[in-house]
Amino acid sequence: MSEAGLLRLLLVRFSLRHWRRGPGQALLLVVILALGVAVYFSIRLANRAVLASFERFTEVISRETDFVVSAPAGSLPESVLPKLRAALGARPVHLIPVLETTAVRARGDAIEELGSGESFRLVGLDLVGLQNLREEDATPEPVRAEWAGGLGKPNAVFVSRALGVPPGSELRLVVDDRIVTLEIAGLIPQRRNEPAAPRALLIMDLPALQALAERRGQVDRVEFFIEAGPLRAERRAEATALIGDAAQGRWLIATGTDRRASGALMTRAFRLNLTALSFIALAVGLYLIFQALDGAVLRRRQEIAILLSLGVEERTIGRAWLLESLLVGVLGGGLGALLGWCGAQFAVRAVGRTVNVLYFATSAESADLRWEEIGWAMLLAVLASLVAGWLPARTASRLPPAQLLNRFQAAGPGSRVLRSGALVVVLVGLGALAAAVPPWRLQGGARIALGGYVAALAWLFAGGLLSGYLLGWLGRLLRPCGHRSAMARLATSHLAPPSGRHRLAAASLACAVAMTAGMAILVGSFERTMQRWIGATFQAELYVSSRGAENASSQNRLRAATWQRLAADPAVADANVLHSADVIFPGGPAALVGTDFRYARENGSVAWLGGAPEPWPDAGDAAFVSEAFVERFGVRRGGVVTVPTPAGPQTLRIAGVFADYGSERGTVLIERTRFLAWFQDDAARSVIVKLRDPDAAETVRTRWLAENPGVQVFTNAHLRAEVLRMFRQTFTITYALEGIGVAVAVLGLTLTLISMLLDRHADLTTLRALGVTRGGIARSTALEGAATALAGLLAGLAASGLLGWLLIHVINKQTFGWTLLLAVPAPALLLLAALVLLAALAAATAVGLWGANLPADREE
Amino acid sequence: MKPIRPLLLTALLFLATRAPAAEPSLTPDGFALPQPGRHFVFPRDHGSHPEFKIEWWYVTGHLFAEDGRRFGYQATFFRRAADRPKNAAAAPAGGQIHLAHMGLLDTKTGRFLHQERVNLEGWDARASTTTLDVHNGPWSLRLAEAEVMRLAGSVRGDAQFELELRPRQPLVVFGENGVSRKGADAGAASHYLTFPRLATTGMLTLGAERLRVQGESWMDHEMSSSQLAAGQVGWDWACLQLRNGQSAMVYRMRRADGTADPFSTLAWVSPEGRVRHVAAADFSLTPLGQWRSPQSGAAYPSGMELSAVEPTTGQRVRWRLVPLARDQELTGRITGLAYWEGACRILDERGADIGSAFLELTGYSGDLRQGLR
Repeated sequence: MSEAGLLRLLLVRFSLRHWRRGPGQALLLVVILALGVAVYFSIRLANRAVLASFERFTEVISRETDFVVSAPAGSLPESVLPKLRAALGARPVHLIPVLETTAVRARGDAIEELGSGESFRLVGLDLVGLQNLREEDATPEPVRAEWAGGLGKPNAVFVSRALGVPPGSELRLVVDDRIVTLEIAGLIPQRRNEPAAPRALLIMDLPALQALAERRGQVDRVEFFIEAGPLRAERRAEATALIGDAAQGRWLIATGTDRRASGALMTRAFRLNLTALSFIALAVGLYLIFQALDGAVLRRRQEIAILLSLGVEERTIGRAWLLESLLVGVLGGGLGALLGWCGAQFAVRAVGRTVNVLYFATSAESADLRWEEIGWAMLLAVLASLVAGWLPARTASRLPPAQLLNRFQAAGPGSRVLRSGALVVVLVGLGALAAAVPPWRLQGGARIALGGYVAALAWLFAGGLLSGYLLGWLGRLLRPCGHRSAMARLATSHLAPPSGRHRLAAASLACAVAMTAGMAILVGSFERTMQRWIGATFQAELYVSSRGAENASSQNRLRAATWQRLAADPAVADANVLHSADVIFPGGPAALVGTDFRYARENGSVAWLGGAPEPWPDAGDAAFVSEAFVERFGVRRGGVVTVPTPAGPQTLRIAGVFADYGSERGTVLIERTRFLAWFQDDAARSVIVKLRDPDAAETVRTRWLAENPGVQVFTNAHLRAEVLRMFRQTFTITYALEGIGVAVAVLGLTLTLISMLLDRHADLTTLRALGVTRGGIARSTALEGAATALAGLLAGLAASGLLGWLLIHVINKQTFGWTLLLAVPAPALLLLAALVLLAALAAATAVGLWGANLPADREE
Repeated sequence: MKPIRPLLLTALLFLATRAPAAEPSLTPDGFALPQPGRHFVFPRDHGSHPEFKIEWWYVTGHLFAEDGRRFGYQATFFRRAADRPKNAAAAPAGGQIHLAHMGLLDTKTGRFLHQERVNLEGWDARASTTTLDVHNGPWSLRLAEAEVMRLAGSVRGDAQFELELRPRQPLVVFGENGVSRKGADAGAASHYLTFPRLATTGMLTLGAERLRVQGESWMDHEMSSSQLAAGQVGWDWACLQLRNGQSAMVYRMRRADGTADPFSTLAWVSPEGRVRHVAAADFSLTPLGQWRSPQSGAAYPSGMELSAVEPTTGQRVRWRLVPLARDQELTGRITGLAYWEGACRILDERGADIGSAFLELTGYSGDLRQGLR
């Protein structure tokens, strides 16, 4: 018989026979792997969908542009357009000027929850010039003037099909601090084989949007599209060089790839964190598959001996085991891809919400499933199961015949190295060293705490090993209980010393608990820090901004007439008007904010790090920078920072560093009079208002909302609550991921107990014959399971202390640049411990009851 | 007249108003109408005349590479005043629409490349009012020095040309007393200025090839506000450059019943630039056959026969204008209106090649009125 035929025979008669006899176990194994893959896969799909939506905004209309010119600060005046065309001469290049702003759907009621409104991106394009891109279509399509309905109408807007609003109807939006009614002139055309326009995209004719946004004569960027032809690559290089020469450093030139990369870069650290978290379940699953297959080797050793005696080569037996692992991988991968895709539909909203708050506007609402992604999930699952199955396969093929024939040999205590106490110390020391490594700095100012991640791995591993120790210790501790109960004696006999599989189960639980508890410590510390920061900086009675300013990427502002009217209200004692602009430093984008230095000094509204500036600086050349800015751009107090502005680069002295937990990109504060002089733009981002009568806040708010339907006004208490709510919201997905990690670990414990009861089925039969009840067996198993869980829990909590410190002082600090105060959320940790123990107890009792009913001849 | 793009024609068909019996100077919507005896001043009158509703600069020519490889090309710049917007705040800058077409025929491969471009007047499209200086995207036609023009054009990324056009003959003005009539309506007329012979040199990049070329071009500059009459469905137009130094321009306005409008015209231009007009009754322009476009489905004449009395000999001649390639149709991807405009050779009764021509055939691709809706 050929080896392939023999393998097929072994698979059907040897491996799958066990699956058929114990389908529940096989299913559990597949489910564990599927859950691990699903979590990783759902985060991957959600991340991709969010990034893709960022790209789609720019590419759905103008295709993939060759490069883009923008200003390092503020917008570009239209007067640069003829200069750009002149620089290119007669070269066949399309130039597409673009203006962008944001808007939210107008509602009748007051805004109670930030981010709850439906946000839109309003994109202004030259709808006449855009027709020229039709010439680039590979195949001629039925010709109609697609945008004709939008020409010459100041309020005409084109919407995506996904918005589900028919042409001819109206759309009421808040743009800046006004409520405007736009007429839907048509649907955004969709080309064959190109992505559909996202729901949040609205397109207007460029002059119409310039008028609507009160930004006449301005564009945000110019996209360049080299006309198709055999010399396109050469022309692209030539055009980029020509525009570079013409720019003379005044404009930024980015390729399409750069722009896509910028979205990826901005969120890289965030996505990496999520991906790392999503690996928990997979890593725990990997442990468990290893354990399950290892247990199966133990239980099937008699069959292996028979196969060897029948002349089946060791190599073939090893391959049969790997084939079984492969099968688990394929089934787990397929199921994981399906579950992951379902999970991604939820995850994408959670990821999108955080990206909206912290980075850029994204419209992702669902994640697509592509064949290559399914392939990737399958590959991951197969690789994971093969890795997990490799060692058991090797063991199976190399077991000595004498050992094979010993049917009732118990599971071994596991590798000596893994039981070594020295290894725990080495791992803790290695982690400490890795934690001291500075972050890996990426282009665009992003940092990745590689050393921190290595330390986390080392400490997680150490926690796993520690759990084995604790398990043995618990076994010894519980031994006296055996004097009172035979069942307790039976349980403790399995734990002192614990088998390798007990250790593994405890270790996987320790790993999941450590990460969950560590993250809970981070979140708890973050929340405590935020509360302190809010307490220190939110001192005013009212906070006013555009009703459209719902997230970090909003461009809606208060027009000068509006904020001047509010600031002059008789109820106002003092007001700080904030102006802001995104500016591109050589190391990446950051926020430049114009504020009233006098207000900051008199009201103490800035949370200083390292103390308030002393003496208070002259506003002339002073700047205050946020901690995140310091981390990102490597500047320091007393040094200088050169800020790009429309009036040219301005060098400012850094007079102070402040805490700002609202942005990880970094913020530079300058005196607002300088901001106004450089940017020539008096629209305000927000106004902070102190009232003559602080108790009148609610009354003034109500009056202002009635008088200004396009603004939102928050009282101090309301804004504080909103900031904390949004903060907690950004951690929703983190909690979900960790919950799944713990669930997988508890499932793993269940599988371990099942597996061990199967190993001991002969003992169980004997016990039943001796009159031990089902309840007695269940109690014994429950005690064994609870002790294992407790060991994992204690080790996990111990490791979580280290992990919490690491997350706060190394990973968070290096990635986001925020200093946090350590705070241990004891109630949350106690709740986690109680849940894990209860779940383990319940699972172990159920397994014990099931095990008591095992027939005498049942092997697996 | 010089050919006008179907879009503009159609627009005019809609917008044209019945002219009053007396010779008006303005259309009802305030645009200028061509006036007899106008004194042209150059270079100003090579530039744009926004007081007229429509204007175009139209260059067609025949180019030869150093190895004798032959090309036909077309470069057209149109300007048209936009309809008055309902809201002045959203009015396009300058209130003008600029449309342009480029075409290139490579006779070696038979490949005809073409592209159209539309922009509102502004940073990417403009026409000077002081001299010849028109731009549309990367395309431009401008007067570089006394009567020497520079043309920069391309057809997508496939072809690019930069040409210098130098007059061999003086500028001629077609029409009676400076006014070229197109129909029975008094307002249906234009000022029609032409350089019939332009020595052409320059560089042509075709694919990865870079070729030095030379040849001869024809350039029209025409301005009007309402030059077409109701009932006209299209026209056939040609310019002829004969080896004997003579040139000719001919158009046949086609009416809905298939007959030629009486305002159709043939104009002979002597080597010295003297113009002699021939009335519609004294010449004929007859299709030679038919070619159906695989793109638009339109059936165009596959060449034309011109029958007229040749002024230098006084003999009636029957010359055939034979296309260098059948497919020289501009399919109008943006405007959606197709027409045929291509390089031809002129064959006499004996089949001898006696010169080069450019032929334009419009109104064969469906109902122009539908195209604009």
